Amino acid sequence: MVYTHRSPALLIIGIVILAWGWLNQSGTADGLQAWLHPGAYKEQKQDADKHQAAEKAAADKAAAEGKPAPEAKAMKPGKFDGVKQGQANFAYIFGGIFSVIGLLILAVRPKEGHLDYYISIFPGMAFILSIAFVVRWGLDPMFANWGKAAQPTLGWNFATILNLNYVVLGIVIGMIVVNVLRIPAWAGNGVRTARFFLKTGVVLLGTLYSAAELAQLGALSVVMIGVFVLGSVWLVLLAGPRINATNSMTGVLSAGVGVCGVSAAVAASPVVNAKAVDIAFTLGTILLWGVLCMFIFPTVGHLLDMGPVQFGAWAGTGILNSAQVAGAALAFDPNGIQTLKVAEIFNITRVLFLPLIVVWLAAWYVKREAGAQKVDLGKVLVAKFPVFVLGFIGLFILSSMGMFAPAGHYQGKYFSSTEIKEDKLLKEKDLAALQAALPKVAKPEDNKALQDLIANKKLDTRDQDNLLRGVAKMEGLDKGAKDALGNAHKAAWHDSKIIRAYRDWIAWLFAFGLTGLGMQITVASIKQAGGKPLIIGSIVGLIKALGSLVVVLLFVREFV
Amino acid sequence: MATGLAPRTLLLAHHGTAGAEQAAALALSLAVPGQTRIVHLYVVPDFWNGMQGDDWLNNAWTRDAFGRHVEGQLQSEAQEQMKAVAERCAAQGIECAPRLAYGKPAECLLAAARECDADLVVIGPPRPKGTPGLRSRMDLDQLARGLGVPFMVATAR
Repeated sequence: MVYTHRSPALLIIGIVILAWGWLNQSGTADGLQAWLHPGAYKEQKQDADKHQAAEKAAADKAAAEGKPAPEAKAMKPGKFDGVKQGQANFAYIFGGIFSVIGLLILAVRPKEGHLDYYISIFPGMAFILSIAFVVRWGLDPMFANWGKAAQPTLGWNFATILNLNYVVLGIVIGMIVVNVLRIPAWAGNGVRTARFFLKTGVVLLGTLYSAAELAQLGALSVVMIGVFVLGSVWLVLLAGPRINATNSMTGVLSAGVGVCGVSAAVAASPVVNAKAVDIAFTLGTILLWGVLCMFIFPTVGHLLDMGPVQFGAWAGTGILNSAQVAGAALAFDPNGIQTLKVAEIFNITRVLFLPLIVVWLAAWYVKREAGAQKVDLGKVLVAKFPVFVLGFIGLFILSSMGMFAPAGHYQGKYFSSTEIKEDKLLKEKDLAALQAALPKVAKPEDNKALQDLIANKKLDTRDQDNLLRGVAKMEGLDKGAKDALGNAHKAAWHDSKIIRAYRDWIAWLFAFGLTGLGMQITVASIKQAGGKPLIIGSIVGLIKALGSLVVVLLFVREFV
Repeated sequence: MATGLAPRTLLLAHHGTAGAEQAAALALSLAVPGQTRIVHLYVVPDFWNGMQGDDWLNNAWTRDAFGRHVEGQLQSEAQEQMKAVAERCAAQGIECAPRLAYGKPAECLLAAARECDADLVVIGPPRPKGTPGLRSRMDLDQLARGLGVPFMVATAR
């Protein structure tokens, strides 16, 4: 079978994306970009005016002194230029790749084989990516602007509260595409790659954790997931027989509702010999709950003013379906990755529980069902093991060893005294402020750290930085000294370009993956929600969501 | 039509629900041994396409195992129903030709009516609201507009 459809779609998408790159590069799209990014545009315009005024003043001064006019300095690119250049770069890379492969598809008749299969995924990937571009570059800033504009009238920012950001919009558009417009035949294979890219996003997230953070989050997630996963599996296994649900229905429902939603139901169905109707009812129920939770959880999180750890822990525990955990975390906090980091640790813990739960269910089913085929439990454990988690752990280890940024970095930020540039050394004004503050610092080790800073005009060690961070919070310290300490701290901390690039890629991978997963949520399958699974699933889902919310609000504090 | 009102090829849509049982009873009451051939259409609805939903955590092996399991279940349910209808037909001496289709019920029925040259189509009544069951209803409007032959809807008891 030949998978590649000989369609001009990929070439057209590639050319459109390239054209967008050119429009940004040439400045033709400046009007539109200024409308989408008014803050960045205004800031850059002010900087340009200041720069021009400074240039003019320097030229006038030189003229007054009878000196030749100083050479005009180029202005540093501002945030607005950064936005345009970033989009242009992305558009050139992906537009170029898609155009070349699009031409190849039209020019060469594909033959059956691996190459055909790999080529066949590009049109679908381009389809998802073009939607992700429109959503992330167009709709996301547009709704953010509208939300701000309507705030004085409404009294609340509808874009923030309703989470109308690129993640939610991507999933919603994905769902509209599959349910209303239908996925074009040429895009079918590529759309299925969404799960691969989502897993890649999780693997890359491994670079952003510190060991202490991973240990803390890991411990918290094991406790919470342990209680709520095992609790809900047990609850369903208890409730099923009481309302005369069959063993296979109870088994598949307990996995789906208890562990990680659709993925768990898919994994457990064969081992509990689930009937077609059990599967349809269960998956429909989970998808219905998942989609509802994805919209409700972030809004509740904002209303309760939850922090990233609290929300990540709640979403990671309380949302039935794991795909919507990532969606809700990014919907809650689209511009940072903090909440996603917390939620994904919970997701990973859930998926690590999955093989154990499947084994438990297999044993439970064989015990209760006469004539049930025995399952090789060892084989099930190996087959269900989520290999991508090893990738996550691998990247975490490499990152901790300093492969992408110096060891000891946190989310790509690291301390280095030797990398402090000359122009970042403390100025005379700062030194004078610190000198004046010296008598107020009573503790000998703090005083010594401050003296060293004054002597060297920069921080030398991380310990010194820690001591002086404490000093900066001292009451009675004047603003000049506090600012000087802040400047010294900022100068000594650097941002790893590799990790920064990873963060950007992670956001794109999740945007791509979640838009693609949205294209796999059909209303027809959600409509199958019904029967006993809907009753039990709704009760247990509600208990889990509310129970985990109470636990999170009472016991979980922000520590990241 | 063959002699009198006896249909020559009667297309029966049946997939094991209570309504389908009414349709089967009606079809058997209309069929004449030796003159009527019942084509039993069993439709596996295409919502199953989306039934892996947004599963993203499983590996390909697990998804394939799930796909095989669901296919196996659907196939055995279909075979069971087709066998039951064939046995009822045989008991009355009526020829029965089972036919399995995958897609939207109305579209499959229209295609089957065309392909088997049916001169009468019999379907069951719509499932009463609130009755548990899979949501895959026959689009009666599409059927009425698309069918070139008479069709009968069995009454609900």
